Amino acid sequence: MQNGMQARKYRLQGAGLDLALPYLMLAPGLTVVLGVLVYPLWDGLRASTRAYRYGSPVADVGFHNYVQLWSDAQFLNSLWVTVKFVALSVSIEAVLGFALALFCLREFRGIRLLRTVLIIPMVITPVVVAILFRLIYASDAGMLTALSVAMGGGGVQILGNPLNAFIGLVVLDVWEWTPLMFLILLAGLQSLPHEPFEAARVDGAGSWRVFADLTFPMMRPVLAIAIVLRTIDAFGTFDQVFVLTRGGPGEATRLISIYGYDTAFKFQQTGYAAALFVTIGLVVLALAFSAIRLLRRIDAS
Amino acid sequence: MSTRLARILTTIFVLAVVLLPIYWLVSTSLKSNREITQEGTLYPHVPTLDNYVRLFTEKQFGSYLTNSVVVTFFSVAIALVFGAMGAYAIARFRLPFAAERKIGLFLLTLRIIPPVVILIPVYLLMLSLGLLDSWLGLIATYTAFNITFCVWMMESFFREIPVDLEEAAMVDGDSRFGAFRRITLPLAAPGLAATAIFAVLVTFNEFLFALALTATPRAMTMPRGTATLIGRIDTDWASMAAAGVIGALPIVFFALLVQRHLVRGLTMGAVK
Repeated sequence: MQNGMQARKYRLQGAGLDLALPYLMLAPGLTVVLGVLVYPLWDGLRASTRAYRYGSPVADVGFHNYVQLWSDAQFLNSLWVTVKFVALSVSIEAVLGFALALFCLREFRGIRLLRTVLIIPMVITPVVVAILFRLIYASDAGMLTALSVAMGGGGVQILGNPLNAFIGLVVLDVWEWTPLMFLILLAGLQSLPHEPFEAARVDGAGSWRVFADLTFPMMRPVLAIAIVLRTIDAFGTFDQVFVLTRGGPGEATRLISIYGYDTAFKFQQTGYAAALFVTIGLVVLALAFSAIRLLRRIDAS
Repeated sequence: MSTRLARILTTIFVLAVVLLPIYWLVSTSLKSNREITQEGTLYPHVPTLDNYVRLFTEKQFGSYLTNSVVVTFFSVAIALVFGAMGAYAIARFRLPFAAERKIGLFLLTLRIIPPVVILIPVYLLMLSLGLLDSWLGLIATYTAFNITFCVWMMESFFREIPVDLEEAAMVDGDSRFGAFRRITLPLAAPGLAATAIFAVLVTFNEFLFALALTATPRAMTMPRGTATLIGRIDTDWASMAAAGVIGALPIVFFALLVQRHLVRGLTMGAVK
């Protein structure tokens, strides 16, 4: 008996090969991540402090690339376009997603169909989403033009006009990602406790009061998570713009990721592009960490 | 009664907004270019499958599809095995200096950084290894991204499984790894499936790295091939639409088939 107890304890603490087990289990995954993600990350940091010519480093320039970014009108413009795009898209998605989630809170016929159909926009290949919208916006073959002609109007110009192209890009993003907001917020609404709402009903509170005093405050953490997730994701938007407008017309839809890609692969300014990408990475990380702190504060209060 | 009417109208409106662009894509893909640009019809008056046939006979869509399937399969399978092991180690063991927690946090941080940040150095790495325009280069890259995701997702699934079951197996003479393989892993199967499904979705749809790392039909994936085709044929709307349908069909079909498991991955775990 005594012996058995001893053996059991011995086993649970681990012995021999078991002692090395956690390391052996972590090793394969970490090796791949270190080789393909972490080494490049370090290599990118190194590249960002160098000047390149024809794809090879020619000089160490310290922080020169980083400093230069802030006097580069094209970089500043792409940053501004990105901020406008992210702010506009994410806020529209949050409002529409919230409204749709409130609408779907009560079970009714057709809700399952609605939920299934809403999955489609976010799983379609982003490149294909861009094709969808090119086919809608095209001035000759587009759906908008066809509808306008069918109703007796003329052709519609979207992608050739800077403002329309930017709005067109926001519409694409709203179409693609409002369903995600909807899913997260619906799950949040469904997990709220019932009691406060019943109490409010007993007290005869109107539906606007219930929303403003109960639903919205209780949903704030979920709403914050959803907005942060979308914001981080939207900052890296690339595929859709690459296929829809390639950043044009002019620089109207040239997001920072497109500018970085062109700097690296079209203009071959490897070091400068690396500095640009490191800057984006830092901005997104700062966003994420301040969002986490904000969420902790909301949780605590 | 009026709320019911509002409900029906809203449902129809939402369905229309989501489905109309898709209808237009499919409808355009069944028309000839002449019908598209000169007649501007709202539905195909003379439906044709020529556009689809051309994609496979003239535009190498067969290769793109093969490349996508091979690359997605291997990168997800490897990431799932390595990721599940890593996640188990992080969820169950207490290492010196809380190393397991630090590793977990580190992998999560890597996941938050937009992939575009390491595009250039990954390109340079694959260039120096001679892995540009190859299956292996893409598989290595996607495996790494998928591992950070799998570890993070599987860790939460493993934590939900009680330790007692493994301990019981070990008392009965199983090794620690044996208990993991025979007890924990089967119990985590639904989580494993959800993780795999989401990884498949993201990998199949990936474009940015495919754009930088591949250049010929030898290794180009579906999104990459589709985008290239579009770059070349600015006004061949019929081919573009057919390419869109072929590009989206496998993944949409797959997603609708497994939609129950999709939500957790899509929402980065914000929803359970």
